[in-house]
Amino acid sequence: MTGLLALPTLHDILGFVLRIITSRTFLEVIIFPGFLNVMLGAAFLTWFERKVIARVQLRIGPLYAGMSGILQPIADGVKLMFKEMIFPELADMKLLMACALGLMLVAAAPVIVIPFGEGWVIANMDAGLIFVFAVISLFPSLILLIGWGSNSKYSFLGALRSLFQQVAYEIPMWLSVLGIVMLTGTLNLTEIVLAQQRVWFIVPQILGFAVFFTAVLAELERIPFDLPEAETELVMGWMTELSGVAFMLGFLAMYTKLYLMSALITALFLGGWSGPSILPQPVWFLIKTFLVAAVIVIIRGTFPRVRVDILLRAGWSKLLLIALANVFVTVIIIWLGFGSMWGI
Amino acid sequence: MGLDAWSLVLIFEVVVFLSMFPLLVFGWLMGARGRDPIRDAPFESGQPRMGEARRRYMMQYYPYLIMFVAFDVVTMFLFTWGLAFSAMPFAQGYLFIIFLVVLVGPLSYALYLSGKRELW
Repeated sequence: MTGLLALPTLHDILGFVLRIITSRTFLEVIIFPGFLNVMLGAAFLTWFERKVIARVQLRIGPLYAGMSGILQPIADGVKLMFKEMIFPELADMKLLMACALGLMLVAAAPVIVIPFGEGWVIANMDAGLIFVFAVISLFPSLILLIGWGSNSKYSFLGALRSLFQQVAYEIPMWLSVLGIVMLTGTLNLTEIVLAQQRVWFIVPQILGFAVFFTAVLAELERIPFDLPEAETELVMGWMTELSGVAFMLGFLAMYTKLYLMSALITALFLGGWSGPSILPQPVWFLIKTFLVAAVIVIIRGTFPRVRVDILLRAGWSKLLLIALANVFVTVIIIWLGFGSMWGI
Repeated sequence: MGLDAWSLVLIFEVVVFLSMFPLLVFGWLMGARGRDPIRDAPFESGQPRMGEARRRYMMQYYPYLIMFVAFDVVTMFLFTWGLAFSAMPFAQGYLFIIFLVVLVGPLSYALYLSGKRELW
């Protein structure tokens, strides 16, 4: 029992730290499917979006920071870090900063259960899909808090619109993946990807894919559903009164969400990491993810904005009905005996 | 290390927090500070400020929120049904299909009512 009383030597401490740093869990949480991957992916997407939209609009886009402007996100981040954080006089400053931080925490959370390759996942959770939906449904409340805390009309109207929109598109989004859950009988994202080794779910679930993709556009508040931050009406929506680092966190949270929702579409409908074995699995996954993100970005460059009442009615009537139709199609697929193609 | 899923969630969130919170502190320390009535006014496109922001707004789309509360729970129960569906014999599976078909009725009535904006 003398070991308990002896102080650990420097060698012990270094060994312990080294063991933690080189453990697979630590590497997964900090580097690859985890934190660094999310931050770099989101930062890359800000550059990627500016570049792609510039091409769509026959411009050049960011050019000077690094090779063809690839370091622009870092320059922007450093600029925002040194800016003054201006909040309106009646705004709840602490609430705004806390909510901006909370948005980042919530936006990064889905990466915990998204498999970037077989075994390339932080936590192989059995209720992974439910976890993602639970985390996503925290967004409207945080955004409403930001709108309320800003005490500015533009912010509050933007937050209200965001709340309505995300709430209206949440149910079609859930229903559209119900078909996948019925075919595979699991909520574990790794098993869902493994079930599509032969045929991707985009083939039997094409209706579900269409609904899910539309709902994701609405959840991400992107054109054609970018009413919460319609620049011509509401300046910057609920982000109007955020500035400096708080704005950076909110902005980064939105791009993190874009990155992870593209990853979720890839895992659910596009076969996840499956592909010819000339490239490692995570590379295939990232290629597909950025292709989905590219489609979302090109849509932003080409489509106009819809009106708010049309948006809400379309979400509740058309999308919900298509999602229900998708459930019926899945029922027929299973009763006809084709369900065994996806590993039941 | 055999950590269970929820401790990994906690570890990840702590990592994100520990890397983002210093940024806020850094921005607070580095940025300029000071009060100025013009600069601290909420942004209203350069116009003088018109009244409070925290007041009553007209919520024409309120019924959609009520619909969410009603149909949200149904959706969650659908997931438990969907999980067990492929293992279910036909005799049990079809009951829920009938339930779904019946559900379309109240759903369309709720949509019809929420479309009549003069009611709200």
